[in-house]
Amino acid sequence: MQATANVQTGPVSMAETKPKGRFNSDLTQVWIGVALIGITGFGPMIAGNSYWIHTFQLVNIYIAAAIFQNMLFVDAGQKSFGQGAILGLAAYVAAILFGLHGWSFAAASLGGLFAAVLGGLLFALPALRVQGFHLGFVTMSAAIVFPQLLVTLDKWTNGINGISVSVPALTNPVVFGMSPLSIAVAVFPMIALFVHYGVRRSKLGRSMFVAALSPEAARSLGIKPGVMRFLAFIVASIGTGICGILYLPTVAFVSPQGFNIELSFVFFFAVVVGGRGQMLGPIIGIWIVYILPNILLAGFVEYRLLMYGCLTLLAVMAFPDGIVGSAERLRAKRKQSGGGEQAFRIDGFLADLQAGKTVREPSDEIAVEVRNGTKKFGEVVAVSAVDLKVRKGEVHGLIGANGSGKTSLLNVLSGLSRLNTGSFMINGVDATNMAADRIANMSLGRTFQAPRIFSQLSLWDNLKIGMDARVGPASADVTALAKAMEESFGQDSATLLSHGQRRLVEVMRTVLKEATIVLFDEPAAGLSQSERTNFANLVKFLSRQMGKTIILVEHDLDLVWGIADTITVLEQGRVVSSGKPDVVAKDPAVQHMFVGSRHA
Amino acid sequence: MLSEILIIVIRGIAIGSIFATIAMSFNIVHGATNIFNFAQGNMFILGGFAAYFLANQVGLGQWSLMLLLTGLGIAAVVAFQGYITLLPLRSSVEQDSWLISTVSVSVIVAALLMITQGPFAYSVQSVVPSFRIFGTRTPGAYALAIAAMIFWFFALRFFLRKTFIGLAISALSQDFDAARAAGLPVRRLQLIAFAISGLMVGTVGFLVAPVISVSPDAGLKYVLNGFVAAVVGGIGSNAGTLIGGPLVGVVAMLTAYKVGGAYQDLASLLVLVLILMFRPQGLFGRVGARRV
Repeated sequence: MQATANVQTGPVSMAETKPKGRFNSDLTQVWIGVALIGITGFGPMIAGNSYWIHTFQLVNIYIAAAIFQNMLFVDAGQKSFGQGAILGLAAYVAAILFGLHGWSFAAASLGGLFAAVLGGLLFALPALRVQGFHLGFVTMSAAIVFPQLLVTLDKWTNGINGISVSVPALTNPVVFGMSPLSIAVAVFPMIALFVHYGVRRSKLGRSMFVAALSPEAARSLGIKPGVMRFLAFIVASIGTGICGILYLPTVAFVSPQGFNIELSFVFFFAVVVGGRGQMLGPIIGIWIVYILPNILLAGFVEYRLLMYGCLTLLAVMAFPDGIVGSAERLRAKRKQSGGGEQAFRIDGFLADLQAGKTVREPSDEIAVEVRNGTKKFGEVVAVSAVDLKVRKGEVHGLIGANGSGKTSLLNVLSGLSRLNTGSFMINGVDATNMAADRIANMSLGRTFQAPRIFSQLSLWDNLKIGMDARVGPASADVTALAKAMEESFGQDSATLLSHGQRRLVEVMRTVLKEATIVLFDEPAAGLSQSERTNFANLVKFLSRQMGKTIILVEHDLDLVWGIADTITVLEQGRVVSSGKPDVVAKDPAVQHMFVGSRHA
Repeated sequence: MLSEILIIVIRGIAIGSIFATIAMSFNIVHGATNIFNFAQGNMFILGGFAAYFLANQVGLGQWSLMLLLTGLGIAAVVAFQGYITLLPLRSSVEQDSWLISTVSVSVIVAALLMITQGPFAYSVQSVVPSFRIFGTRTPGAYALAIAAMIFWFFALRFFLRKTFIGLAISALSQDFDAARAAGLPVRRLQLIAFAISGLMVGTVGFLVAPVISVSPDAGLKYVLNGFVAAVVGGIGSNAGTLIGGPLVGVVAMLTAYKVGGAYQDLASLLVLVLILMFRPQGLFGRVGARRV
């Protein structure tokens, strides 16, 4: 194999500069949302009808709560059916402190907010251990138990009679006939929308998203999924708690029936009907799920729950993306979105990075060392008493038949599973019992057999996850590369990438992360011959020009022999041979592997 | 005092047997589809309503016939629900849709019951006479609940191990793709699993109607307690539910006795959270190997 094949030159930015549609319409949706909230927030006041004012104040509060539900459900992947209980908790605690104990409204509100955050933390606690439907059941039970407790603990809550409050300072008009409360209720959903947008555009938002969709990928990028879930629940419960605080003076009354499970379902269903993950989704969702049955069809109020259920079922069956999501899909189809992803090629990056680099040879220092490592799954010994030394800057090939323990060893090295006995060191530091995110932060990066590509993120955001995972500040050429990629791929979709390009995305993540040790798990599987040649060049480049240590698990022996400095052969979890490629090739213990290969 | 506790424990075990059967009905659907049917509690309550309308104060013969019809009817309803739940999954990579559709079906069934029957609890006469245990009259339906749990445990065991369809459903829960590659009619098997789960909860709902609150909003209570029983036993383990169900039932009864009936759901929630925090695989479940 010719490792120094010709590299086609050309910068990353060679993508044609035809006008592209935006990858998503989040920002547009935020502004439309602000306008719509303005209509329900200020419209009734202008009309001056007190019934409509009151009704739409409640609508706006629910819109804000649904926005936080949307963030929690989609961006952080936490299936909570209990957000109504969080809202009720804040409202009730504030009502008890203000209405029954004579606290000032401000102090009582803080108390209510504190209670909401506490409630959110209680939801987050089981979320550390379990996900998905487990969490759905836990939060749903909490939403069922909450009103029961309000009734039972009547010593503190006034039980079934509820608590009436009046806050004239907030409800008396100050400017243009508007009270401070009505202004707050009109503005808060807008703030919620910007918070959601801001979180989504931030490193925190991307990390939450990756942690929700692929916990292994997240941990191998230094993200702690548990911390992300906690943060998501805290942000959502602060937001939902404020909704509860606003609810209290708006309705001027709290009772257990006001916060039964139906309320939680309203928020959840609104998100689904409006469009999961769409900025505008919760607004349209509340309009349909709440306004339609409660206001337009108020004569059929007993059919309300039936309408919620039917609308939601209909949405899942007929337009699973929801109303806004379906519109967004049409928009993305009509506009020429993306198209630049053809330019996402290895040669471009090599050319961009290559300038002024000197060739480095592997040093004699040890980057990764495994001592007598054994990993068992029940009775199956996947890795058996393995000793392995990987020098800094070398390409170390790890080969062996399926089930010989290669991927198990990689998972141990990246911290996704633990050795049963033995130890391993990374750059001289014992990492045997380190969690995956700590190992990732020791400048180790990895790719997966099945590339972890997130179709909801643009191509650039998919790459930026690597940038987010950095430990220190970026070097000059990585900064330049990142800038070029942002310009080229900022509005491109990652769904249209070929299989080879998907693998490249994962590799480029480790480049942007500036990981000094990179683990590749069968990177060439499914690549074409020319893609393999390109990939071999990239690996050589990462090792020789960028000085990275590479551990390569691969079945393509020609590829491995073409680029590896050292090769270790595993068989049934044991090391049967290790050394320079030409030495290993002659080792009688591994001859049988070469049937059909040119090294036979 | 001691006999009081004993009576409570026995009633707890009986109520818990209902939870165990619901948990087993979760397991068979979950094994075949990875879906947890949030509407299962309402399907159970439908069985109770069927008992009220079809078999209140009738003879044993008609009662048995109606039991069979109710079981089959609810099996059909749940199979239909399964069909529409599985529809969006055919094309979409989005895996949340079943969560949403089963929750919305649960809401729809409860709302329909509320609209047609009102928010009342219906009382159903027992066809099986009560019996004396530790000097207290105990409704016959309690014995039926325990018998139904044992019956369904062994019936499922036989079905899943000895019949071709049962083995095929077991294969689904082992490895989905392999089962499909082996040419099994995956979708049909999944619908059969849904139907069996409906048959289970429908018949049990019918049998225990005299001792439960047959009301539109009771479904949620049973779906949650059934879930807690499944988690305590270890999801996928039917043998585990035989312990998990009665355990949850006894905890609920003791809570009602010692603290107050209003705290029963809270107690179940606490059991659920404690198990999930400290032993998420359940008392009898095993930790699966990680796949990367």
